[in-house]
Amino acid sequence: MNTDKELTGAQIVLEALKEQEVDTIFGYPGGAVLPIYDAIFGQNFLKHVLVRAEAGAVHAAEGYARSSGEVGVLLVTSGPGATNVVTGLTDALMDSIPIVCITGQVPTHLIGTDAFQECDTTGITRPCTKYNYLVKDISKLSEIIHEAFEIARSGRPGPVLIDIPKNIQLQKTIYKSRKDINFRPHRIKSGSTEISKDFIESLVSHIKSSVKPVLYVGGGCLNSGLKASEELIKFAELTNIPVTTTLHGLGCYPGNGKLSIGMLGMHGTYEANLAMHNCDLMINVGARFDDRITGRLDAFSPNSTKFHFDIDKSSINKNVNVDFSTNTDIAHALSALNLYIESNNIEFNHNQISNWWGEIKEWQNTNCLNYEQGDEIIKPQHAIARLNELTKDRETIVTTEVGQHQMWAAQYFQFNKPNSWITSGGLGTMGFGMPAAIGAQMANPDALVIDIAGEASFLMNIQEIATAVQYKLPIKIFILNNEYMGMVRQWQELMHGSRYSESYVDALPDFVKLAESFHAVGLRAKNLSELDDTISEMKSINRPVIVDIWVDKKENVFPMIPSGAAHNEMLLSKYDKEKPENQEKGKVLV
Amino acid sequence: MSDASVYPEPSNTFKNSKRNVLSLIVDNEPGILARIVGLFSGRGYNIEALNVTVVDIKENLSRITLETIGEEKVIEQIIAHLEKLVPVHSAINLADLNESYEAEISLIKISYENNEQNNKALALADIYRTRTVSKKEGIVIYEISGTSERVNKFLDDLNGINGIKVEIVRSGPIGLGV
Repeated sequence: MNTDKELTGAQIVLEALKEQEVDTIFGYPGGAVLPIYDAIFGQNFLKHVLVRAEAGAVHAAEGYARSSGEVGVLLVTSGPGATNVVTGLTDALMDSIPIVCITGQVPTHLIGTDAFQECDTTGITRPCTKYNYLVKDISKLSEIIHEAFEIARSGRPGPVLIDIPKNIQLQKTIYKSRKDINFRPHRIKSGSTEISKDFIESLVSHIKSSVKPVLYVGGGCLNSGLKASEELIKFAELTNIPVTTTLHGLGCYPGNGKLSIGMLGMHGTYEANLAMHNCDLMINVGARFDDRITGRLDAFSPNSTKFHFDIDKSSINKNVNVDFSTNTDIAHALSALNLYIESNNIEFNHNQISNWWGEIKEWQNTNCLNYEQGDEIIKPQHAIARLNELTKDRETIVTTEVGQHQMWAAQYFQFNKPNSWITSGGLGTMGFGMPAAIGAQMANPDALVIDIAGEASFLMNIQEIATAVQYKLPIKIFILNNEYMGMVRQWQELMHGSRYSESYVDALPDFVKLAESFHAVGLRAKNLSELDDTISEMKSINRPVIVDIWVDKKENVFPMIPSGAAHNEMLLSKYDKEKPENQEKGKVLV
Repeated sequence: MSDASVYPEPSNTFKNSKRNVLSLIVDNEPGILARIVGLFSGRGYNIEALNVTVVDIKENLSRITLETIGEEKVIEQIIAHLEKLVPVHSAINLADLNESYEAEISLIKISYENNEQNNKALALADIYRTRTVSKKEGIVIYEISGTSERVNKFLDDLNGINGIKVEIVRSGPIGLGV
């Protein structure tokens, strides 16, 4: 491309995406983005995936980003196109997913006149993006797009929105290449790559004296890249410290690794939560002390010295005060830590924590994830366990919707490497999973991509099955169908006297026929004897499949730390009569 | 009344005070104030006073000075969140500096009914070394500058005069470290 040639704003968008090596964009056309769609027509480096509603585009971009480590990109029109992505942008902000969202806007001379499909996109999205732009001057367009990508992926990643008025898309100027742009450092805010020696020395000396240490690993480790995960595994093995992960941290340390004690938090394992409660040293690697993790704050891990690795300074001391912290990027921090340990021949006495491991083993013996699978009705936990078992031969990526099925997926599916688990953790967006699966399948054409879903969540973005069919994406929608908004029903049972107000999902569609009407494949398992065969059949079909698994309608997710309770007050099962006293207090929490 | 000495003795007031006056340097771009204000309202913090002005035309920078309330940890959080905003160059709490100086300017309109009231107000205005910016029958506008505390005291004293009406505009505190 002759860089001295004048291009239209729309062509500049495409040129910048090309230079950013973007090969996939999710989008939905409309009046205010037609010039960009015109530029997409007839080019061949960029594959456009036409979603069926803009919400699908943003979740697909999230799934793409999470499963590839690249920035996810989407393109939508002004007004309703932009407002429809607000939920997804908020989701990406909460879960630190790098997204660039391009929106069309009415021409600059019409801004402020309540023009057709006009809305204050930058105003609406300011609190739900890491940053956003309204482009009013064509000469700044190239620089803005490139800066948007830098901002989206640097430091704690997040969504960036660029609002481009239609007349700017049609004006002409000379394209400015990324390499000719001097980014202003205060605007990019990359994480530090240097870590203080004091922090490392303090940590090492605390580990040496600790008899009850625990590693608490979150999504920040994932965002720091595969190297972070490798260094984490190495560090854990050098020190023999038990590892618990958050919902987003699953896979950073292998679920089948010998030091893994499972997920922690509201529906975490008994051993993980008790280890957190009783530890004397907590090493937080890229987690943010979310309320789903800590339970009651004044009873959270009362006797531990806390170290916190987090690239985001505002995560330090936000919910829980810590004793030592670093804002160094985790891959660099852990790598420096491991190097320090090895080059100084520091040996950790694993015997020192053998009693601690003994205690943990005892907690593990309670077998907190136990369930009783009868002869006929499929237990949802069993459905996930079998899905896990029967897909071990394939490179599998799991996405989820939000609710009980999401927690069972986290508990009963084993994640042994990073980027194979994509879920909406912070915002908890129902309808996330299927479009996210579409994005993940676009980025990983050979992987087996499964959206573990509930029937209620699935209905929220059901239109996207048409997208999967159109692009021949063989995603699997694995519905644990209990005819309820299960998690709502569970909370109503536990905290609202079993008054199941509006949580029963009446008039459900026939999911098999529904699949067929979309030209996808529908399968169903009504009882235990059909489960394995249905999963195997699902796997063998190289097309989008909706699998309707009829599960026990009354099953609840356990263990559970009720809202407002402490880690050592968890309910182990429905047979657990020792309910915490402050149940009423918990009612006001979410 | 005196036109001289409108600026009282400077004082190093922020350090060790319980006030949190934050000083920010930001890119002067559309939406920057909305970003700052949105951060405060969205996270449940309060802005007690706010001042925004372009301070560097060449580099296109503005200085935002704002007063907020909160425990030390809350203020640390606010600063960490402010520093994360893309157009923010720096955010400091003036109270954290060893030496910083404060000023505020205020215009105060007094409407009086009789000469006794006016004389009382005049006497106070003289004590506080204000400047008279406008004087008409029944209405005087004074200008006072100095620390917020000084402005507060002047206002308290004025409010002690029975029967006058006081209308106020204040710039809010601004400050600069040494």
